[in-house]
Amino acid sequence: MDQFIQAAIIGVSLGAQYALLALGFTLIFGILGVVNFSHGGFYMLGGYVAYSCVAFLGLPYPLAVLVAVVATGALGWVFELFLLERLVDDHLATLMLTLGLYLVVSTGLLTVFGPLSMEFAFPVTGALHMGPIYVPRENLIVLVVCLAAIAALWLVLFRTDLGRGLRALADDRAVAMAQGLRPKLLFPLAFAIATGLAGLTGALVTPILSLSPNVGDPVLATSFLTVILGGLGSLEGAALAAFVVGIVEAFSSVYFGGSIGALVLFVLVLLLLVFRPTGLMGRPVRGA
Amino acid sequence: MTELRVESLAKRFGGLRVFQDINFTLPEGGLLGVIGPNGAGKTTLINVISGRQMASAGKVVLGGRDITNQPAHAVSRLGLARSFQQTNTFKSVSVGENIARAIRFGGRGAPVGLNRMMDAFGLTPRLAEISDKLPYGLQKMLGLVMAFASTPKIVLLDEPAAGLERTERQSVDTFVDIVRKAGTSVLLVEHDMDLIRRMCPRILVLDAGVLLADGPPAEVLARPDVIAAYLGETEEAH
Amino acid sequence: MRIKLLGWTEIVALLLLSCGFIVPMFTRSVLVYSVLNQAFVGVIAAESVWIMLRMNLLSFATPAFMAIGGYTVAIAGQYDITDAFLMTAAAFLVPALVAVPLGALVLRLRGTYFVLVTFVLSQIMQLLIFETPGLTGGSNGISGVAPVTLFGAEMGTNRLVLEYACGLAMGATLITGVLTRYFRQHFAAIEENEILAESLGLVVWRYKALGFVVAAGVAGLAGYSLVNMLLTAHPSSFDSATAVDFIAYTIIGGRLSILGPVLGTGALVYATNLFGTHGQYAQGLYGVLILVVVLAARGGIVGTIAALWRRVS
Repeated sequence: MDQFIQAAIIGVSLGAQYALLALGFTLIFGILGVVNFSHGGFYMLGGYVAYSCVAFLGLPYPLAVLVAVVATGALGWVFELFLLERLVDDHLATLMLTLGLYLVVSTGLLTVFGPLSMEFAFPVTGALHMGPIYVPRENLIVLVVCLAAIAALWLVLFRTDLGRGLRALADDRAVAMAQGLRPKLLFPLAFAIATGLAGLTGALVTPILSLSPNVGDPVLATSFLTVILGGLGSLEGAALAAFVVGIVEAFSSVYFGGSIGALVLFVLVLLLLVFRPTGLMGRPVRGA
Repeated sequence: MTELRVESLAKRFGGLRVFQDINFTLPEGGLLGVIGPNGAGKTTLINVISGRQMASAGKVVLGGRDITNQPAHAVSRLGLARSFQQTNTFKSVSVGENIARAIRFGGRGAPVGLNRMMDAFGLTPRLAEISDKLPYGLQKMLGLVMAFASTPKIVLLDEPAAGLERTERQSVDTFVDIVRKAGTSVLLVEHDMDLIRRMCPRILVLDAGVLLADGPPAEVLARPDVIAAYLGETEEAH
Repeated sequence: MRIKLLGWTEIVALLLLSCGFIVPMFTRSVLVYSVLNQAFVGVIAAESVWIMLRMNLLSFATPAFMAIGGYTVAIAGQYDITDAFLMTAAAFLVPALVAVPLGALVLRLRGTYFVLVTFVLSQIMQLLIFETPGLTGGSNGISGVAPVTLFGAEMGTNRLVLEYACGLAMGATLITGVLTRYFRQHFAAIEENEILAESLGLVVWRYKALGFVVAAGVAGLAGYSLVNMLLTAHPSSFDSATAVDFIAYTIIGGRLSILGPVLGTGALVYATNLFGTHGQYAQGLYGVLILVVVLAARGGIVGTIAALWRRVS
């Protein structure tokens, strides 16, 4: 039972991280129709920016996280505005552009920081003990920040004019444009929000896991897994699926070990893609 | 014996009705006009008959064979071709290559009258030109020629005159003449009332997804409900 | 209408590849052999990507089918089956057969969804290798694969291995060339306007399925060539991330003709080796080149050369 609760806690905390990544990923797909292969790159970049701020500038960690969010958001904004925007309706071209950016970012990080893992430790250590169950404080903080970020994103998307505009663009671009919404302004902004979220996740999580120039690939794979499971473009679906993926991963690693959990998830996703591309939550498919 | 029979055909998108209870027969070698205001469901009707979209209910029967919800290529292989409202060609290749592909994909060889049609439209001297570089009207005519080049028994035309200059619209008459001489029957969906009046011995009026009238144009177009639904609006527009 | 089985681009590609038989007459450099070997494997894999790209379908599944081809040969080797012809046929046919039911499933998807499903396929294959140690050796792979034999003679020397890799690359180019040349109209029509092609009677799924199956077989040959070069079948050889390399070779080389994957692979494998032991930095070069090609030179290397040539003449 203790093991069970322990696994559940790990699962939920993984789920919150995945939710941040997946929400950004699905936001970009829903609004721009772009599959962002550079998502893992922004995650890594967030980690390295936060690390640099702490290690070289001596900034306190929370401030470093904030800088990471701004930096990744800004890069995302510039990338969308100047490169992606030109070809935004050509799905193959945008996919290749984000792939190219990912290769450039990861190689850039490799060049500057070298191939080895950074010594980037979370500033808070220790664990909370509740009887036989213990929860590392760092995980708890990450969980709280992730949930707060998800809540903030929710507020922005569902309670502000900006959010209404973004969701309208995701629903039907032609109608939204006819109503006077301007994709030229909103597309870069949506991309920046999404990449900022990836940067935030990186800045929060890499001190706990690891920070090296190859941690982006699994992040991309997990983001794929989650958003397909939740239905491409669906925000609610992505958030729900993130917790499913996190919990399945935690339980399968505790009870089965190895990669069987991931295998099951991927096969499930393959079947979903083929037979129900709208995902678990269901939502009209675009471009298929 | 290749007649097209449509029985109680209906199409819904979710809860939204596009059309329902459509019944008509297009006899072999016949010519049937379909008119109706924008949004009456004309293009969707063509899409459903040609297998591009699924029918919600009803049947499409081609030459005694039920082709309802067959995939588009299968319907085309059975001899039912269609044109598109927007220009629709293989833009990056030449006019000749476009026509060659239509003949090859159709798998029935080139139809009688194809050369005469290309001459009539002025496409013969432009065979080597990239189709995207043609003027709009010619691109549209090329789309028609391609539908015919697959040697169909029936061809569905989706507003062939839309976007053409008045002087270019005569080409649609020429097209229908040559197609019918080859023994092919024609379903002509059109907005241009002059064209419909001078060409079609019989027309259907579609309004808000239901069949409002079926008969000779002179008779049908004089009906008050048809005038109310449709004519008032478009006579002014044209 | 006369349909050609091979055009001049295919013939030039075959001539370029035949350098694998000529170079050994002049040098015995291990480095040159190694670079050429890598290039031959890469060319085959890139051609597999290119076949699908002819129909505007971008596939990340190449490493998965390479793994099936590679492991088929490695497992057969454990049963002392080493005949070159038999192995070549098996490396092509086994992945191609696997692709038949898979294709029926995934070819219902278009565009972005096809990309995603092939990405997922690659991940699944990777995980399957780790989860089936009895068959594939799991994370250890299968080492000590016996060299192939041609008419009973073992092809063990560096030179013979290179020449065999060259032969495989030429064979794959021949298969790819004949397929894409014979069905050029069909593939081009699907690439440009699938809906129109279908309305004219083209049975689109048939050509997509054919392309998918042959692309899988060609990828299997790449996996075979790789295993034959390393004498090892290891999961890292078929890492799903390598799909990006093959896509880069194809896009940067140019997607308009078969010379694209051939020249793109040659140029990028050569460039990668210029980085020496820091091969991982080459990824950055790929990234920059992909951005340049997509934004400024859609035809890639081959398209750019062709455009320059037209301007000169």
